[in-house]
Amino acid sequence: MRSRRKTRLRAGSMGAAGVALALVLTACGGNGEAGNEADGTLEVWAHSGQASEAEALQSLVDQFNDANEDITVELTLVPEADYTSTVQATKAEDLPDIMEMDAPTMASFVYDRKLVPLEGIVSEEVLENRIGGVKESGTYNGETYAVGMFDVGLGLWGNASLLEAAGLEAPATAGEAWSVEEFRSNLAKLAEVSPSGNAIDLGEANSFAAEWGLFTTSPNLWSAGGTLMKDGKAEGVLNSQENVDALTEWSSWKEYTDPNTSGTAFQEGQVALTWTGNWMYPGFSEALGEDLVLMPLPDFGNGTKAGHGSWQWGATPAAEGNEEAAGAFLDFLMSDEAITAMTDANAAIPGSTSALETSELYGDGKPLALFADNLASACGSEDVTAECIAVARPVTPGYPTVTSSVGSALLAIWGGADVKEELDKAARAIDSDFTDNNGYEDE
Amino acid sequence: MTTTSLLPPKSGTPETPARPARRRGAAGPAMAAPAMLLLILFVAVPFVAAIGFSLYNVRLGDPREPNFMGFTQYARILTDPDVSAQFLSSLGHNLIFAVIVVPVQTALALALAMLVKRALPGMAVFRAVYFLPVIFPMALVAIIWRLILARGDQGLLNATLNFFSGGNFGAQDWLGSELTALGSVIVLSIWQGCGFQMVILLAALQQVPGELYEAAELDRANGWQRLLHVTLPGIRTTLVFVALYTTILSLRVFDQIYVLAKSGGGLNEDATRTVMYQAVTAAFDQNNIGRASAISVVFFILVLILSLIQRRLTREREA
Repeated sequence: MRSRRKTRLRAGSMGAAGVALALVLTACGGNGEAGNEADGTLEVWAHSGQASEAEALQSLVDQFNDANEDITVELTLVPEADYTSTVQATKAEDLPDIMEMDAPTMASFVYDRKLVPLEGIVSEEVLENRIGGVKESGTYNGETYAVGMFDVGLGLWGNASLLEAAGLEAPATAGEAWSVEEFRSNLAKLAEVSPSGNAIDLGEANSFAAEWGLFTTSPNLWSAGGTLMKDGKAEGVLNSQENVDALTEWSSWKEYTDPNTSGTAFQEGQVALTWTGNWMYPGFSEALGEDLVLMPLPDFGNGTKAGHGSWQWGATPAAEGNEEAAGAFLDFLMSDEAITAMTDANAAIPGSTSALETSELYGDGKPLALFADNLASACGSEDVTAECIAVARPVTPGYPTVTSSVGSALLAIWGGADVKEELDKAARAIDSDFTDNNGYEDE
Repeated sequence: MTTTSLLPPKSGTPETPARPARRRGAAGPAMAAPAMLLLILFVAVPFVAAIGFSLYNVRLGDPREPNFMGFTQYARILTDPDVSAQFLSSLGHNLIFAVIVVPVQTALALALAMLVKRALPGMAVFRAVYFLPVIFPMALVAIIWRLILARGDQGLLNATLNFFSGGNFGAQDWLGSELTALGSVIVLSIWQGCGFQMVILLAALQQVPGELYEAAELDRANGWQRLLHVTLPGIRTTLVFVALYTTILSLRVFDQIYVLAKSGGGLNEDATRTVMYQAVTAAFDQNNIGRASAISVVFFILVLILSLIQRRLTREREA
């Protein structure tokens, strides 16, 4: 009895060791998915954000598969929060043929050889038809690496009844934007009439330490005449006096800011203003109806500014030899029908000029035309003029460090830390990372 | 008072040396093999790799050969005004966390265990309720506490304090303020972890023989004396285990801080950053695997020294 049990145990342990070994071996050799060109399969990765967006994409993929006998698109959705780090941690040869990426991460994927230029893959008409903001977000070192079905904009949304109660008129165009002094005094007035006692939701619950922080506060810097980086250097740029003043101003709004832990402070009329993107429009318009107004962000002196840049599509080295199928799919995604189906689902700004013209939301005189106007005068963050409104985040392979360092600084500043000190620290961290990586020069 | 006499006699202890060694010869290594293999694969190999990575400028997903940097990363962790200040403050937060959480959580767990040990009707419900937070993942606990500790009047804690103080107690920014951020994290961590220690200590308490309490009562020992001279010595080995275990957990605090800082809790990062947090954000937010590895290696050496000291101390006491 005893010896029998012993042998069984031993066999069991050997079995377990065998299983472990097998697991390890498969884990080590797990990249055997090459050669998909032969059977016409096109692997596609996309982020899974809002449910309506993911559903729209899935139905577009189904449409494409039905219409194209010889190509089968296999769509894999990756949760939005992990999407960028998943792509970052995946070797280029293990990536799908086509992948989605958030606009500011593109340069880092190009640097990592995870994207190939789209000239020759995507048709010329499609590239030409893109709106200015999408063209800019897709270009790095003079080449097109990504095409976006849509773009986004950042704005100030107001509750008309509460604005009226405070005796304020909402500015409608970029030229009429509140100056920062007006904005500050309006916050005080609006706090008095807002049921919560707070005037605005600045998106604190999205975390200023995350990408949201840089996206939502950088318009303040640009509008104050500052920017994040110039010629691959942050020292003297990120921690400039303009930026220090702008962020000191921004953090002073905290006393009027609702933490919005419920996520519905603005929709329920608890606060008069909210500082967020166009993607919130469907919920806002349903909740507030006629009371919803869209305004430009406050002007810190250099004209009102707004962020832009959103999810876009690119082809990876895995698509080589499969360019025709990849091109067919990207052309399909960039067709006006597909763009309209997608922007109907996520209320984003259509990425092609022809789709934008017919848009129910962004066309001339339509409720969100302000966002489209902003994008019409878009520029990069290296050279922000007073005229340009929509500004893209820095296009550099070192972007992960930029956003992480700036995010930490923003969180600390919001918590009451010294603005200059935090920006100095962030600038040093960014410059040290750029030096370690030879300035991310792509030789 | 000896502790060993309270434990059930170990069966077979006297005859062990007499058993012939050859009969066990092959079985030992064979049975240890799977565990050893896994240990080597998932602990030893990554650690050696981390030492290697820490000498290079490794970026995730970069096809270029990483540059050799020598001990630059270590030099930065130990001397660079920014990186080193961050590392030292992280280390400090870990230590403060351990110094507060280990005794408080162990004491609280013991108190709870003694409470729920009583054979009253419905006690199973209380045991379950106290154990419940352990089942929740830390991320969920952090989200719940984010609502409790939210700044402004809508935070549950602020609203409660305001109600009971008749409006005299103003709303606090519990997570954002430098003074209360780490304290808040400590409170929610204790709330989450306490139940687990309670269950372990409950099991130990139930093994303390009832006769000892009867004898103590005959000697007219009061409740306090019974706790000091019967209960505590009776569960000493378990207490040491619980304290060690809690220390290890306190050194690797990460989840609650990451969730509260990165998902909109507004947690003051500089006041709560732990070493694990610094390493993970260096690796996955800043894409700097080299620095993250160097932090891990230095931290490993510090933890090793700490556990050697702790082991020596507890051993001396046991002897």
